[in-house]
Amino acid sequence: MGMENRSDCHVLVIGSGGAGIRAAVDASSAGETIIVSKTITGKGGCTVMAEGGYNAVLRSADSVAMHYEDTMKGGAFLNDPALVEVLAREAPDRIRDLFTWGAVFDLTCDNEISQRPFGGQRFPRTCYAGDHTGHEMVMTLLERLRGSPVEIRDELTVIDLLKDGDAVSGAITCDREGELGVITADAVVLATGGAGQVYDTTTNSTAGTGDGYALGYRAGVELIDMEQVQFHPTGAVYPYDTRGRLITEAVRGEGGILLNTKGERFMEKYDPARMELSTRDVVARSIATEVLEGRGTEHGGAWLDVTHLPKEQIETRLPLMLEQFLRFGIDIRTRPMEVAPTAHHFMGGLRITPEAHTTLPHLFAAGEVTGGVHGGNRLGGNALADTQVFGCRAGRAAAAVQHTVKRAADADQIAAAEEKISRLYEGTVPSAKIRRSMKRIMWSNVGIYRNELDLKVAERDIAKLRATPLGISSPREISDAVITENMLLVASLVIDGALLRRESRGAHTRTDVKVPWTNETSPFGHTFFSKAKSGIEILEGRL
Amino acid sequence: MKVRISRFDPGKDDVPHTETYDVRVEDGARVLNVLDAVRDDIDPTLGYRHCCRAGQCGSCAVRVNGEPVIACMEEAHDGDLIEPLELPRIRDLITDIAPVMAQIAWLNPGADGGDIPVCGCEVTHETIEEIKPLRECIECYSCISSCPAFAASEYAGPTVMRQEQRLNLDPRDGGDRIEEAIAKGLFACTTCHKCVEVCPKGIETPRKAVEKLRAAAAKRGLSLPAHRALALLVEETGRSVERKETPFLERVPDVIEPEGEVRATVGFFVGCMFNGRVIQPALDAMEVLRKNGIRVVIPKDQVCCGSPLIRTGLPGFVPELIQRNIAAFVNVGVDTVLTMCAGCGSTLKNDYDTPFRVADITEYLCEIGFVPPAKVAGTYTYHDPCHLLRGQGISEQPRELLRSVAETFVDLPARCCGAGGGVKSGRPDEAAAIGAVRAEMVKATGADFIVTVCPFCEFHLHQVTGLPVKNIATLLLEGYRE
Repeated sequence: MGMENRSDCHVLVIGSGGAGIRAAVDASSAGETIIVSKTITGKGGCTVMAEGGYNAVLRSADSVAMHYEDTMKGGAFLNDPALVEVLAREAPDRIRDLFTWGAVFDLTCDNEISQRPFGGQRFPRTCYAGDHTGHEMVMTLLERLRGSPVEIRDELTVIDLLKDGDAVSGAITCDREGELGVITADAVVLATGGAGQVYDTTTNSTAGTGDGYALGYRAGVELIDMEQVQFHPTGAVYPYDTRGRLITEAVRGEGGILLNTKGERFMEKYDPARMELSTRDVVARSIATEVLEGRGTEHGGAWLDVTHLPKEQIETRLPLMLEQFLRFGIDIRTRPMEVAPTAHHFMGGLRITPEAHTTLPHLFAAGEVTGGVHGGNRLGGNALADTQVFGCRAGRAAAAVQHTVKRAADADQIAAAEEKISRLYEGTVPSAKIRRSMKRIMWSNVGIYRNELDLKVAERDIAKLRATPLGISSPREISDAVITENMLLVASLVIDGALLRRESRGAHTRTDVKVPWTNETSPFGHTFFSKAKSGIEILEGRL
Repeated sequence: MKVRISRFDPGKDDVPHTETYDVRVEDGARVLNVLDAVRDDIDPTLGYRHCCRAGQCGSCAVRVNGEPVIACMEEAHDGDLIEPLELPRIRDLITDIAPVMAQIAWLNPGADGGDIPVCGCEVTHETIEEIKPLRECIECYSCISSCPAFAASEYAGPTVMRQEQRLNLDPRDGGDRIEEAIAKGLFACTTCHKCVEVCPKGIETPRKAVEKLRAAAAKRGLSLPAHRALALLVEETGRSVERKETPFLERVPDVIEPEGEVRATVGFFVGCMFNGRVIQPALDAMEVLRKNGIRVVIPKDQVCCGSPLIRTGLPGFVPELIQRNIAAFVNVGVDTVLTMCAGCGSTLKNDYDTPFRVADITEYLCEIGFVPPAKVAGTYTYHDPCHLLRGQGISEQPRELLRSVAETFVDLPARCCGAGGGVKSGRPDEAAAIGAVRAEMVKATGADFIVTVCPFCEFHLHQVTGLPVKNIATLLLEGYRE
């Protein structure tokens, strides 16, 4: 293998969604910056697929304090208050950056950025570009990136982080053809997104495999709240291969209503005050309950109906939804959509400080790979804001790390990576088979409603898969195999967290545990995981 | 489901080859699901790109049965042939898109570098609405891979022009996009609209970017000399071709009565080429209409439709042309006006708001039921004029006529010949290069004659192939005379 592909830079950014690009752009002012993407930069992350919007306080009738409170409440008070405070305070500046850089957000007739209501928020503070807000942001960021000195390396998979003592000092990479390489750096930013792909049904792109959680964990970082997986209430259910595709919350924001097969607007039972614009965890559980109790559609979902809205509103505010459904023969102007919950967002992830520092020196993180910002449940529109606020912070903090004369990458670590790969050639079970089993286990046992028995079964079955001899027959399969290992590690962390958290909180619902406390008075803090220790924080004086 | 996939491994293969795969997929499976099934169950080394699975990232564009599609959105069918886009190939379905990406311009926020946040006040709601249609691009590069001008010239391609115009419209951008667009081949686009046809978002790049950029270039005196001369000629004479012989309009009466019973009355819009340059096909068309029982009214005060001015970005005189042409036909009181020039027809249908119906002659003949002609000897193929195929959505009618009259008809997939969009007049070398690609395709059919419905195509195809090119009306008349 040789590892002849070696390069060096000041800041290495891993991941090319909204957070990664923003971090790279900001880091590049202080020195040579490389951004690596296992896909094509800008196409890979979930940002580009995000439809609904970006939450920012822009009007005098709204306030940062209110955004903070909505986010904490929506997050079941599991959020890290310091991170939420930063999110709410800086989201407006970051959207103004995007606007300065050319973003084509919808404007009101008074030429101010338009905002619409999203679930769990007391003010309509979700800015948008039709129903392709994330795409618009990524195109803007890509333009900015292309105009920056950042070196873009596409279709390069990071298979492990490199360390120099305790500090992270670069990465070992693998290209499309299976050629290994090394990039050394003064600082590394992880912006690899979430891991919806560990579930059978997900909104995530095929790149949403949680590599950053696994890379960080193996390097010794601490993660939190991995059990907190948001199931977006409205994913497509039919045709089979489209299952999980996101149907944006903007559909409900624009006035879409949810109905069961009896034609009942069932949110009246679950959250009569907020109805369809309740938080995502509540709406997802409501749909799941309707289906479980026999009031679901043929394909196991509920109806999401916009046929009462003016056709023009659907055409101008939800063009992508209209187009996508038309492709499958459904005109949403005249027929309802069939929807069911789908794995969407990991609220948990690498523990960070407000400066986007992880628990390892010289390793920073931003976006969905981090934990703490969204607590137990993320509000719609807060993820895009998160990518920009913390992407910017991570990029600037990484840039501020002192330039050093780097030592050559640790030969032992490289040898270990090569050894790991050579063992893959002796394995017999292909990645695809392992992933299929994993996705099914996670979907059936670690979904919206959880209990100890199911979780134990999942723990055993995932452990079995991790012991299965994963095999490849050509170098081109290395990346996929490593990613499969990453996914299995992430799956096991989700299960660990779900077993550790003996309460229902945010997106995590334990049907086998009844507790006397509320979200606000819960004695539990974050679940935490690292190679050294795992557990759940107990808040003093509450238990 | 059985599909064929084009495979290529530069380490092993000299040339690509096609493999057939039999895979199990669910009902309604997309092309991407089929590729996944091949990778997961048969060959894990199959190279293809994919990411969002929702038609939003543009990674998975491939060709299915020759046409670019987004694999995650396109339904798969038994027997599909899956190939990479027509871009330099890396391996299997993976193409080298880096050189294309490098051509896409970025917004230059000026000296401050955009570090100082500004309020949105200088950008208006109206500007945003104007930019939006140019902003939906997902950079799948389907347009570039199927652009005939990109393939045959230095033209940077449709989405590159889309981005130039997107920036040109944006007050936040500090760059000079006109000079840049010209340097990237602005005048090489033939406005064939293939890019619109293959665009998963239906972005109208020729109309909303290329023609607008050309108009902006014209305002700064940067039009091509040949285009300026043409515009001047139209303003002075009402015609885009110089008078060399007695034009069509001076050879025919105001009304041509049909043979036998009058089945219908139509107006006839001749267009500059058929009026002054290739006159015989227009005269033949009049005979064909007579034999079909159609009375033809020909107002003599009709003028150029304005197409050459619109396509080349010099539309200043167009409103007057539109007004004169509409008045000419309103005055003679017809409710249907026939065209036989694809460019004129497309312009009248898309750039005019006419109080009468406009129909291409082939469309109209098929609609009313044409008198069957006798077969004419020879092997014929049909060249789709872009402005008929994509400008008017007409492809079957000319073929129906041709099948009825040609002894042997060999079909030919559509591809621009290079004559349109002012390229032939402004950039003749590029028109010839685009035409050379088309000539190869035509020759491969083995046809003795090319038939088409556009005077520009007719003229140009003859030059690049050396083959005789006949207008469909001429051939039909031969059939009627047999």
